Amino acid sequence: MLALNGMTKRFGATNALEDVSLSLSGGEVLGLVGHNGAGKSTLIKIIAGAQAADGGTIAVDGTPVHFHSPHDAYAAGIRVIHQDAPLVPSFDTIDNCFLGRPYPKRAGRIDRKAMREAIARHAREIAPDLKLDIPVAFLPPAEKQFVRLLKAVSDEGRILVLDEPTAALPAEDAHKFFAVIDRMRARGTAIILVSHRLDEIAEFCDRAIVLRDGRVVEELSKGELDVARLVTAMGGTHAANEDRPPVAASARRILEIEGLVTGELRTPASLAVRAGEVVALYGLSGSGRSSLLQALWGAAPIEDGSIRLEGAAYRPRSPRDAVQAAVSYVPADRHRTGLFGSLDLVFNKTLPLLSSYRKVPGLPIPDTRAERSAFLVAAERVSMAFRSPGQLARTLSGGNQQKLIFSRWANRHSRVMLLDEPTEGVDVMAKQTIKEIIRAIAADGNAVLVSTSDRDEALELGDRVLVFRDGAVVATFERAQASPEALSTAAQAKAKAS
Amino acid sequence: MTALNLSRFGTLIAFLLLCIGFSIAAPQAFATQANVYNLIQQMATLAIVATAATLVMTIGEFDLSVGFSASLAAVICFALFGQGYDVWLAVPAALLAGLAAGVANGVLVARFGIPSFVATLALGTILSGLAFGASGGASMFKSVPDGFKSLARGDVFGVPVLALWIVAVLGVASFVLTQTEFGRRLRAIGGNAQAARLAGLPVMRDVIVTFAVAGALSALAGLLLASRLGSVQHTMGEPLLLPAYAAVFIGTTASPTGTPSVAGTLLGVAITGVLANGMTILGVDPFIQKILTGVIIIVAVLLRRMGRTAQ
Repeated sequence: MLALNGMTKRFGATNALEDVSLSLSGGEVLGLVGHNGAGKSTLIKIIAGAQAADGGTIAVDGTPVHFHSPHDAYAAGIRVIHQDAPLVPSFDTIDNCFLGRPYPKRAGRIDRKAMREAIARHAREIAPDLKLDIPVAFLPPAEKQFVRLLKAVSDEGRILVLDEPTAALPAEDAHKFFAVIDRMRARGTAIILVSHRLDEIAEFCDRAIVLRDGRVVEELSKGELDVARLVTAMGGTHAANEDRPPVAASARRILEIEGLVTGELRTPASLAVRAGEVVALYGLSGSGRSSLLQALWGAAPIEDGSIRLEGAAYRPRSPRDAVQAAVSYVPADRHRTGLFGSLDLVFNKTLPLLSSYRKVPGLPIPDTRAERSAFLVAAERVSMAFRSPGQLARTLSGGNQQKLIFSRWANRHSRVMLLDEPTEGVDVMAKQTIKEIIRAIAADGNAVLVSTSDRDEALELGDRVLVFRDGAVVATFERAQASPEALSTAAQAKAKAS
Repeated sequence: MTALNLSRFGTLIAFLLLCIGFSIAAPQAFATQANVYNLIQQMATLAIVATAATLVMTIGEFDLSVGFSASLAAVICFALFGQGYDVWLAVPAALLAGLAAGVANGVLVARFGIPSFVATLALGTILSGLAFGASGGASMFKSVPDGFKSLARGDVFGVPVLALWIVAVLGVASFVLTQTEFGRRLRAIGGNAQAARLAGLPVMRDVIVTFAVAGALSALAGLLLASRLGSVQHTMGEPLLLPAYAAVFIGTTASPTGTPSVAGTLLGVAITGVLANGMTILGVDPFIQKILTGVIIIVAVLLRRMGRTAQ
């Protein structure tokens, strides 16, 4: 259906793509993987008609095509779907699908019935449970993705490029998402799936190609696809689940939680964390793990229960209290709740502890030179790659943005470190570095809580794993007893209907 | 780098070109000491109200009540004069009224989550009603103490008092915004309020303080205007609102990230002030002045956009 041959693209002296060829048939899902900067984005832009290649040919259905604009690619049936492609929140699925398309008319008026039928015909096949008539604002994130897919296929999209479609979805929803992809595949749609989640690529793709430095370094067919091979080809290192001795039972208890009820955490939860220990909180989104962190951070009210920090009662009323108690926090969804994208790196780093950079004690005027050197030290500690301390935070890659948020707390001793989805939406290499940083933070004698929807991450990081489900802690595993199967079973035993 | 500098200093260059143009077109009238003096008088009130707007826009909000606060403060001050109170009571009382109005704005926005556009428009309407009531709808000009008149008239060592007000108010505001922890927090709130809250900043308090300061500054501007004119009308501050925001928006074109700054706002005030002044000298019809001012704002922001896309 789609064939690319010898695609080449240069930006100045760098070869973004060099002699990249791929072919895609109807009813096939092709995985496209590579580190950030490997050339994936450039390739997608060329397929979408958003960028012209310097060399190479594109053919659709065997006919050579030249895309001069995204419109040409669209006319050829190509749809690139970004995970955060905008939908109109107050419009329902049908109206969103028809956005930018001519409306069917009857006697001069918009024919809503015909619109509904046009969409429902496809919805029945790929996402039968999707509600078509309620504003998409009320749909869970996974179903918003279905709306984007539905919009593409109902408008004659035959070749779909899905850019990180599951990055923002918890594991359970990702499964539902792939059920839809399966049905689309069965109808003969050709799909290119770009994902950092290599397990998804291995599980759902018929084939995968691996890009590295702008070249195709490996092409794996179904039988050969596994995570370890993909990682090797990408040039990363596959972290073996290294054995660590358990944290000594004699280690100091830093954090003790008794019968905590807060937000989505409805069943009283108790937990103690020792110095140097990493406790992973694993569960689907909405299972209560994030609520626990928010309560400890003072960002959500504690409804019941008590917390002790190094033996003293601790009840933060605001994040300010938490900061002062040497508790640190890295929020999930960094774009919305963590990053100041339009401000520079030093600003982003020093903001929460700004008063510790005063030139004259008591005078609330930051010493910019002290800030800058603290930033450089912290950036080094979290191995952040950046051009200049004055660059805007939004110009960093996802992984470096996350490291920037980590760096806020890097120059002080945190008694408790709270991390919510710390490796969400970052590439494999950065993921590895961030995991190392987390281990290092624990090794400094901090108590670390990591909330995650990534099972392997929970297993890899946690000295102990608490499994959350429907607002309760349903299981606790010591590192030695934890296994992927046990975790999944506990987390999804009774999956919530949605 | 040169492209960046050009887009950064473009607004300043435009201002200088404007001054040079008027100096050539009206050599006898524009670049004279008397006219510069006159310009400063015209700009001072606007500069202070625009600074209030700048502070509020830094946290990503709007304050549409600035002009109404200015009117109310002037009315309160003159009403107290009418009752026989002297400057030392009337002026602080008027400033406090502006501060209180600002606190009310801040509480409505930060505590009750009402969009600032709506909250400040509603509160401004209330303020204008209060000013109307307190003034009885009539012009007030009686029993004004001489001490009050010197607030905005005359000069110190040859420098007009109003110029000193501009330097003092804008200087302090600029210092606070760029150099202090408070200013840093305001920029953070404007950048991403949710992230600021989660980073442990006292967002609610800072928002209320910002609106309060904006209210007090607006009141000060109202008093200076009253002092200069020697009389008060209950609607006198209202025409300040749009030019104040126009100045802030022109000012944002001087910043690499398009964020408001006091220096940029001063430039915006100067550009609109010089434009109006120069065109009046050249005898341009007032209606054409208005149209041209609007066009210039749009062009400035458009050029800025294009500059940014080019980068």
